[in-house]
Amino acid sequence: MGTKEAVKRNQSSMQVLKTLQLLLEDNYTMTELIHKLNANEKEPIFNNSVVSKYINTCRFCGLDIPKIHNKYFVASLPFGIDLSARELDLIEDLQYSVKNTMSAKADELFSAFLGKLSKYSNKQIIRVEPKTKQQAFELFDRAVAEKRRVNLLFRAKAVFECIPLRIVEKKGKTCFNVIHDGKEKTISAERISGLEIMDRRFQQSDDSPAQDVVFKLKGALAERYTLKENEELTKNERPDSITITNRGERKEELFARLLRYDSSCEIIFPLHYREEMKNLLEEMLRNYEA
Amino acid sequence: MFKIAEKTELNQISLTGVRGIVLVGLLIMQPRSLEEIRKAFIELNIMEDENSDDILRIDLNTLKIMGCEISRASAKTNFKYVIGNHPFAFKIEDDEITLLKKAYNQAKSHADLAGIISYDDLFKKIASRVCEEDKKEALLGISVLKRYDTQIIKDLMLDCSQGRTLNLVYKKPSSNVEENKEIVAQKLVFQHDKIYLYGYDLEKKDSVVLLVNRIKSIISRKLEKTEFEQHFTKVRFVLENADFSELQDGEVILSNNENSYVVEGNYHNDFLAMQRILSFGTKCIVTEPAAFKEAIVTKLKEMRESYGN
Repeated sequence: MGTKEAVKRNQSSMQVLKTLQLLLEDNYTMTELIHKLNANEKEPIFNNSVVSKYINTCRFCGLDIPKIHNKYFVASLPFGIDLSARELDLIEDLQYSVKNTMSAKADELFSAFLGKLSKYSNKQIIRVEPKTKQQAFELFDRAVAEKRRVNLLFRAKAVFECIPLRIVEKKGKTCFNVIHDGKEKTISAERISGLEIMDRRFQQSDDSPAQDVVFKLKGALAERYTLKENEELTKNERPDSITITNRGERKEELFARLLRYDSSCEIIFPLHYREEMKNLLEEMLRNYEA
Repeated sequence: MFKIAEKTELNQISLTGVRGIVLVGLLIMQPRSLEEIRKAFIELNIMEDENSDDILRIDLNTLKIMGCEISRASAKTNFKYVIGNHPFAFKIEDDEITLLKKAYNQAKSHADLAGIISYDDLFKKIASRVCEEDKKEALLGISVLKRYDTQIIKDLMLDCSQGRTLNLVYKKPSSNVEENKEIVAQKLVFQHDKIYLYGYDLEKKDSVVLLVNRIKSIISRKLEKTEFEQHFTKVRFVLENADFSELQDGEVILSNNENSYVVEGNYHNDFLAMQRILSFGTKCIVTEPAAFKEAIVTKLKEMRESYGN
């Protein structure tokens, strides 16, 4: 009798744990929950009152399970990932990066990820809802004509400096086509809350997409150089030298970096970059001719 | 973490279900012995003092049937039950890790060292709830600090704030030879995905910059302040057509004209000063000191030679 009773009680525990497992996987209505839970049973044992009792059991244990739009979902787990206020800020910063610089698909994926992380956290993670935007097409066109950089204001906190290229239509939406961080991006105007023209002008060459650059490092630097994410080792002649292919780094930033490597570095390809570096060095030298 | 149950409340819910959830939670937080589980259950009013340990074993078996890998409590595990893979673990997909990495790479470019450490802690925290080893590794691999001992960094941050003198073992980048150094810790800097310790070498009587990942060990710390006279490399230069936001710590504008600034920069040593001046390209003209100006010209000629005629 004791054993039978124990098995009976275990089954109830298993059913509660199955309910919890499902709620951690996704958000479900009561009907969906009952259907999913009964799907693996020989005969239907889950019904409205049983599942309600199990949800209440989970809630009793400290799980935050709200019901919104008729769907139950886990909003936080008492023994979930203990995120500090600082870490919640970092997550929000990551979300801003995704929202403001990546595709709508990436934004969607990140939101889904946050929803999932929220279930496994002991705190509710704030989701950012889209804000209204101000159209600034005239200003944008003026910035293109005057070759001035613009600040795109996505939300109160996020401001990105860009080179304006053109206004384009994409999937029926009006978008700003810009270069940000050396990469061409098309950003829907709906995601922009404001636009600011800067005094700083951009060079025509800034428009050109970043390309592969091959450079050679010599001496001690060649031995200790750590490849960046966008780089690969083309030729390894350590300890004397290494040859590196750099992909996609903005020319201005790459040149500033390579200049810091002084005579340990030599650009090999493309030839016009090599020529530009040579001219740059000559120009720098001319600064000192008096 | 869990609230103490009132007897009246237990009528509305499943008591064994509560025990199941509490047990999962307890084991996810840390390995537990049977005695520790029993104590927690009794404190939460979900088990009576007179109940047998068999109840706990049945609860453990229930979790195993649910798919939780729970090791036996043996001498090897200090007689504690350890949960391995389980269906309540955080599941993260490859595309989510890739996206996190992209977002992190953008966010870190604006972050200071404290921020970089916080991101590292965040990824570790999330990874601790992921059971799949490959995903856990990939998640931990996002952080630029993946190859660093973050405790050393945190300790060094404290050392710098207190200006402590450290006796440390450093593996020189140029020769890979390990050597002992006595350094007054001054500043930790995160730059180009690397962490540098700026300090003063008491033996060489000069400013030094050390790569933190080459510090093999810190043998001792002297808490009292060490007196020394530090030499900074002071360079005065004209910066043309530049945004003053490009300036960094230690650089001050002395005067400005329509399109240019006269800037005085204080650098930790000659090498960093040279790197900084070169990185400005044609926008910068060094005016003082004459010896540094000469050194820049010599360096530029040397660089120019690499490109032939």
